[in-house]
Amino acid sequence: MMSVGEIRQQEGYTAWSQKPESQSEREGPMDVNRRQLLTGTAALAGTMMLGAPALLAQAKPKVVVIGGGAGGTTAAKYVARDSAGAIAVTLVEPNANYQTCFHSNLYLGGLRDYASITHEYTALARNNGIELVRDRATMIDRDKKEVILAGGQRLPYDRLVVSPGIDLKYDSVPGWSQAAEETMPHAWKPGAQTLLLRRRLDAVPNGGVIVMIAPPNPYRCPPGPYERVSMMAHALKAAGKDRCKIFVIDPKESFSKQALFQEGWERHYPGMVEWLGPKVHDGLKSVDPASGTVVTGFETYKNAALVNVIPAQMAGAIARDSSLANASGYCAIDPASMKSAVDANIYVLGDASIAGEMPKSAFSANSQAKVAAMMIRGELVASRTFPARYTNTCWSMIETDDCVKVGGAYEARDGKIAASSTFVSQTGEAAELRKQQQAENMGWYAGITADMLG
Amino acid sequence: MVLWRLSTMSAGVWLASAATGAVAGDRELGAYLSAECVTCHQITGQETGAVPRITGWPDDQFVAVMNAYKHKRRDNPIMQTIAGRLAADEIAALAAYFGAVSSPSVAK
Repeated sequence: MMSVGEIRQQEGYTAWSQKPESQSEREGPMDVNRRQLLTGTAALAGTMMLGAPALLAQAKPKVVVIGGGAGGTTAAKYVARDSAGAIAVTLVEPNANYQTCFHSNLYLGGLRDYASITHEYTALARNNGIELVRDRATMIDRDKKEVILAGGQRLPYDRLVVSPGIDLKYDSVPGWSQAAEETMPHAWKPGAQTLLLRRRLDAVPNGGVIVMIAPPNPYRCPPGPYERVSMMAHALKAAGKDRCKIFVIDPKESFSKQALFQEGWERHYPGMVEWLGPKVHDGLKSVDPASGTVVTGFETYKNAALVNVIPAQMAGAIARDSSLANASGYCAIDPASMKSAVDANIYVLGDASIAGEMPKSAFSANSQAKVAAMMIRGELVASRTFPARYTNTCWSMIETDDCVKVGGAYEARDGKIAASSTFVSQTGEAAELRKQQQAENMGWYAGITADMLG
Repeated sequence: MVLWRLSTMSAGVWLASAATGAVAGDRELGAYLSAECVTCHQITGQETGAVPRITGWPDDQFVAVMNAYKHKRRDNPIMQTIAGRLAADEIAALAAYFGAVSSPSVAK
């Protein structure tokens, strides 16, 4: 028999053993040089001599934002609002509506409806004077400082914010593929996949087996897979299907809030959830979407009623195709500003960035966007800047009225974003506290969506 | 919620900050720092779930509550973390900023 390591290598497991992002190499901070901007805006001097208001308006600095998620919307809003019209802001996003990844597990569990996690961009654009371009950014011409859209349009920028979120590594799970996402959904990008996973969950019969393939580090929303397990179990239990079993095949030896989740699963869903780390399952060998089969080193799960594959991840294509990402698949940034380590005119936010000790969360992206927006205004209109500070909190629902949280405060230190203090819920907490935290979770959702999109 | 009156401690903070000229509200600093708060606390004053309104408070009360979190005399790990790294002039700047935000049409 081959060793575990040999099997993993043979089965294409390299993606599962990639380095944590915080260890990835990054270059030093880029110098901010306002003169670069002025010389780059070639027409400015001539325009000012003519002094015509219409021409002056054309010289207004331009910020383009790629991606209408938590990072992009927040950056667009804070640059536009706080510069009060002195900077022209364009947000590029192909989707008409935005479904939040955060709280999509609550939709899965039947605790939120789909409409309540769906938002429009119209108020954001109208209230803050942002030009919304509904198209996909396909390329960045970094020399010309232009974003090229799928429709062929070119958007010139003085500063560019790249916040594309993640792409999935479809080849990181042997036997799975992009085509297979219709039968073994990931639902790790919101929208149609979220709806599909819910339909599939609802169709699981009592006694049916669900297998979740959990992702390797680093990935979007560290507690997310385990909150999802909790919400699936909640939905099954609520439907009287408590003979169902959820197996979690995890490439990681441990996971976010592990003690809290495992305590909660025992308490609320006894016998329904079995989490298996790599030593216990001996490695994921393959999946077969056609037959609903999952093969690990020690076990074969046949005729699973539902297989949820959450694969390895990387920065969205636009970041990788524009050479903003390094070998890790994510983008190195200056921790004091969120500026790309390889391009002084570009900022990278959220899941696509290598944000040191900050997790890939909407809260993190929102926090990083505010730092970037401040720095961009400082560069373009000489507004005051302050030292970067970041925060994050992730709430996770285990069961109705049982919510736990983890979070921290972060700062630029030793060349990366490092935690200055952190906190996490404790096992055995009083039910009243957990209920209070769920109320906090709902308050946060209303708060951050208003902050991003209002 | 218990409303704190101007305590000896926060009065001390006030006077110390006034000496450096910060308490009159470094509104720009407050505006930047406020971004950290409005991820949860809505600038409109709208309250949702367990996240309270923080706009329109008297400065001294805002400072007192933040100091209670900072020194862990009030519970909540998130607020203790946020307040824990705020210096006195930063808390004063936030008090000035949020205190000046009026919320005329807050739906309760």
